[in-house]
Amino acid sequence: MSAWLPRSAAGKRWLGLAPSYFVIGIFMLVPMIIMGVFSFLEPNPYGGVKPVGSVAAYVKLLFEYDLEDNLVFNPGYINIIFRSFQLSFGATLMCLVFGFPVAYYITLQPESKRNFYIYLITIPFWTNLLIRTFAWIIILGRGGVIETPLLAAGIIEDSLRMMYTDGAIAIGLTYSYLPLMVLPIYASLEKLDFRLLEAASDLYATRLEVMTKVVIPLCKPGIIAGCLLVFIPCLGAFIAPNLLGGGKKLMLGSLVQFQFASARNWPFGAALSMLLLSAVVIMLIFYARSARKRADMEGA
Amino acid sequence: MTTAIDVRGITKIYNPDSNQPVKALDNVSLTIADNEFFTLLGPSGCGKTTLLRLIAGFEQVSGGAIMLFGDEIENLEPNRRPVNTVFQHYALFPHMTVAENVAFGLKRLKKPEPEIATTVDRVLNLVKMKHLGDRRPNQLSGGQQQRVALARALAPSPKVLLLDEPLSALDLKLRQAMREELKQLQRETGITFVFVTHDQEEALAMSDRIAVMSDGEVQQIGGPTEIYEHPINRFVADFIGDTNFLDGEIVEIRDDLVTCRIGSKSLFEAANSGGHTIGDQVTLFLRPEKISLSAPGEAGGGDTRTGTVAKMIYLGNQAAYTVDMGDGIEITAQARPREDGKMPYANGDEIAVRFSARALRVLAQ
Repeated sequence: MSAWLPRSAAGKRWLGLAPSYFVIGIFMLVPMIIMGVFSFLEPNPYGGVKPVGSVAAYVKLLFEYDLEDNLVFNPGYINIIFRSFQLSFGATLMCLVFGFPVAYYITLQPESKRNFYIYLITIPFWTNLLIRTFAWIIILGRGGVIETPLLAAGIIEDSLRMMYTDGAIAIGLTYSYLPLMVLPIYASLEKLDFRLLEAASDLYATRLEVMTKVVIPLCKPGIIAGCLLVFIPCLGAFIAPNLLGGGKKLMLGSLVQFQFASARNWPFGAALSMLLLSAVVIMLIFYARSARKRADMEGA
Repeated sequence: MTTAIDVRGITKIYNPDSNQPVKALDNVSLTIADNEFFTLLGPSGCGKTTLLRLIAGFEQVSGGAIMLFGDEIENLEPNRRPVNTVFQHYALFPHMTVAENVAFGLKRLKKPEPEIATTVDRVLNLVKMKHLGDRRPNQLSGGQQQRVALARALAPSPKVLLLDEPLSALDLKLRQAMREELKQLQRETGITFVFVTHDQEEALAMSDRIAVMSDGEVQQIGGPTEIYEHPINRFVADFIGDTNFLDGEIVEIRDDLVTCRIGSKSLFEAANSGGHTIGDQVTLFLRPEKISLSAPGEAGGGDTRTGTVAKMIYLGNQAAYTVDMGDGIEITAQARPREDGKMPYANGDEIAVRFSARALRVLAQ
């Protein structure tokens, strides 16, 4: 053995894991640290940052300077953040409502068919999200797939004005992230012992009670994972809000994108990202804690 | 005597519309009396579990009717049938404690809270699991899970308890202990038990009556002694216990005995079960424990023949000897070890084989 190689087992293990640490460090930690640092610098008017420390970006989240240079409370950004959470929550709920029955249906199929259905669920991932979201403009828009036949049949007389609304954004988000809800729920339902359903109905549970007392509690980990997988990217989404909301109704994701691409205020964009990141981390901590508690309870 | 379950001409076909329909039950009829320990016994694939699942309501009948205390139940959902099941692999709810598992059925029946509490206490006491009410199923051993499954099924006081091979996952000692407990539990509660098993010993030890099934049909229904001593056909005789079969032809009939020719020239006398004529092709059967083996020349009565020991299988408390009787006939018999633990006969020994003609029975072909 060469002298420079570590001798202890712990040292060897560290050496083996070094490539993973390296990749995670380069691709995750370094960009995040850069963002964190940027958020405490001053913006350069032509893009980028000036190496001058400042907390202006964070102040801007809550306050603005009026014409007389006084700091006044500005609820604008807080409202956008609040709206983002609202829309993401709505989209997550819709994904759950549509996704759970789909996952349950797939689980009930014979094994040979299940993989095929899962393959169908993943097909949308093969096409660019931008293009798929454009398709929704054709579906929802003025003179689109929904309106035209209704107009022709005389059921409606005017455009339904479905585009550029919160509803359109929520539909777009639901559509974009539905597979991320179906897959983890399917994964946990697939492990479900279906004899438990027979046992429940044998013990006088109605079909509804079998669902609420046995199936849903047992696939709760899958439901929570699916909700997180949908909710988190919804918060940062900007394609659906920009295209279907017309960019007039901003969400957090589009606001961040706007700061970097158009407004040239990188520190503020970075500060918004940090806020988003903190929200996600807090949610993940709660998830991990509840998962650990559940594992303790079931003695696993 | 009240009839608990009356199964009338039940047929069950799986995948009836496919090109490979499977007939699991073919026109099965039987009645189970109230307060009876009734066992469905047969090899795997004989339809015994299907019949149990039809009574529980997990499967739909393809034809026929099931009556439970006079009510037709075959079209009811499982949650509307006043029967409960103990599942083969227990199927306890992993996200609930033992007590919550036991209370599940009572809660669905909307019993008042205090009544639920006392009932859960009572049945957990009954199966000696009261001290573990707060545990989760995966913190219990197999035998304890078995008891919880039993308690959960007994808690709603079902009219009939269905047990689907409940002891098959337990080790031998525990299985034997649970046999007695189950039987005692059945006597104490007075609930009708319908017990499915492929283990003939289990069936003989616990049952009031046994239905032996094969290929989706009931072969014979009767008490343990009747099934063991008077099997109706070769399948039943073969499935229950070890048996010698001798195929031959009836050559003489007297009042209570028939004489059969086995092989080319050997004659065996057997009990006359009636309805035979000379020239009938029949099978005689003889249980190994009805044969006594001795050294040649030792005095003895009955039908004594000599043979040669062809094979011995040592079983500890006894040995199974295969004796070559000549004329292509082999008979299996048992012998106990001597006091020093050695077996009395060895391969190749000349040996005297003795049995009474009454022990030999004629089976229908």
